[in-house]
Amino acid sequence: MTTSTVTPRTDASSRNAAPRGADAGRRTGKRRRAATRGWLALFLAPAVALVSLVLFLPFIATVYRSFFSDNGLSRTWVGLQNYMTLMDDPNFDRSLLNTAIWTVGTLLLPVLLGLLIAVGTNNVGWGRVARFAVILPYALSGATTAILWNFMLATDGAINDMFGTFGLDTLQQEWLLEWPMNTIVMIIATTWQATGAAMILFLVGLQSIPSETIEAGRLDGATGLRMLVSVILPQLRPITVVVVGMSLVASLKTFDIVWLLTKGGPGTESETLALTMYRETFTLSRYGYGAAVAVILTIIVLTASWIYLRRQLRTTT
Amino acid sequence: MLRRLHGSLLIAVAAIWLVPSYLVVVNSFTAPDDYSGPSWWFESFEFLSNLQVAFETAAIGQAMWNSFLYSAGAGALAVLIAAMASFAVVIMPVKHPALWFWAIYAGTLLPLQVFLSPLFNGYAASSLYDTQYGMLLIYTTIAIPFAFFVIRNYMTTAPKEMMEAAQLDGAGWIMMFLRIHLPLARGALIAAFLFQFLATWNDLLFGITLSTSPNVRPLMAALGELNGQYAGLGPPVILAAGIVASLPTVILFLSFQRFFVGALRLAP
Repeated sequence: MTTSTVTPRTDASSRNAAPRGADAGRRTGKRRRAATRGWLALFLAPAVALVSLVLFLPFIATVYRSFFSDNGLSRTWVGLQNYMTLMDDPNFDRSLLNTAIWTVGTLLLPVLLGLLIAVGTNNVGWGRVARFAVILPYALSGATTAILWNFMLATDGAINDMFGTFGLDTLQQEWLLEWPMNTIVMIIATTWQATGAAMILFLVGLQSIPSETIEAGRLDGATGLRMLVSVILPQLRPITVVVVGMSLVASLKTFDIVWLLTKGGPGTESETLALTMYRETFTLSRYGYGAAVAVILTIIVLTASWIYLRRQLRTTT
Repeated sequence: MLRRLHGSLLIAVAAIWLVPSYLVVVNSFTAPDDYSGPSWWFESFEFLSNLQVAFETAAIGQAMWNSFLYSAGAGALAVLIAAMASFAVVIMPVKHPALWFWAIYAGTLLPLQVFLSPLFNGYAASSLYDTQYGMLLIYTTIAIPFAFFVIRNYMTTAPKEMMEAAQLDGAGWIMMFLRIHLPLARGALIAAFLFQFLATWNDLLFGITLSTSPNVRPLMAALGELNGQYAGLGPPVILAAGIVASLPTVILFLSFQRFFVGALRLAP
């Protein structure tokens, strides 16, 4: 550390103290700039090359492919035909509807519960225990969450068993085999897994509220719900944008849990866009059609991210 | 009265959240032959033999090693590459820094599904399909944009005097990167590494798309296959495997929660 801070200083001072001929100075300056450009390329190249080759190139290939009818062996240009067909495809409509349900569900449940639990446990003795219980599943993968909830939701699983024990046989159901019940219970499973992340972020937000603000609210006679609505919530707005954006984008990309719990079934009833793309491409080998689904998913995700990024930029500046 | 209600509400929340995990642990100890539906208390203590069945059926041990390799390797590589790019964009005199920023960061905004099919074809054509190098390549690349975002944000807060030292040439740049800026950004580097380690460990999509043999397949893909044999093997075996598969990330997450919060706040 010391050597590297000393070197540039002697370099700079010698240049200032004893200027060489203007010509020589210009030449070394030019060489220096060229060297810097070389180093710049070296530092940037790995990231830019990898992201371009492994991410952007496949992205462009997918967009291009969506204009073809392509079964893996032969391809013909069909223009916007794939997109037209999608609009009339009842499976695609269901997939869009499911994606919308997932989005609304995961915006409502984890965000709202995360907020409530954060507010309810902040500065409370027993809060730590509740927070630990809620945060624990966040470290689990989608696959492990699916395994756990498969055990809970299977027809001979823990939830039906529980209902049986309490004599509530009428409540027993085939949770994963009927739409829209399967989508709803999978959203609940995701809520169990994802609420912890929302809660942590809200806690960070809560702890950054200056205590004078709370004190001022208290002096104005605000307590309980009034305090929450008119003092605390407005202070949480910036972090709420982060939480909402995160949940929104995550819900649009939902794949793992549905793939392992229902495979999108029965039939294609519980498919989201991510699963429809996967089935069309890798199960049915309809590459062009699958690519069109991926492009539509991308447009939706980018629109959502844009709205959220723009709002986030506005709130932070 | 209100306080007592509050307290019992908190206990109820904790209980509801812990019930699934509790049931999974209890039932993972039941011997498959003893299993006759979910149990609320330990029936037997056959966790290890359940685990052994899982390890033999779906090569879970090999898959865990693979996932460790991918998570640690891709995490470290991605953080190094992202740190170099951050250094170039923030510290070095680059033209159009915003353009370069988006050229790298935009990768994290696209849904993974849009890469899958061309990647699969490209991997098949270049014999990267179903190889450890291929998996390391995709996990490293997919981790770069977000790691870059975290580290770049951190480097922009570097003190101004550091920028003024940027008047040296030749090997000066690399020394400055290694001796000054990497150590300074240590917190961001650790946060990005942990975040990407967890993300790679938990990935299912690339695992099932770009690999198939047990020698290459990451853990979540192996777990998925095991879950497909739910009826044949019985729930205790699958649950035991699920517990062992999540232990590393749960431990990592709980020990470094602070770092995760930092990275989480920036997640897209």
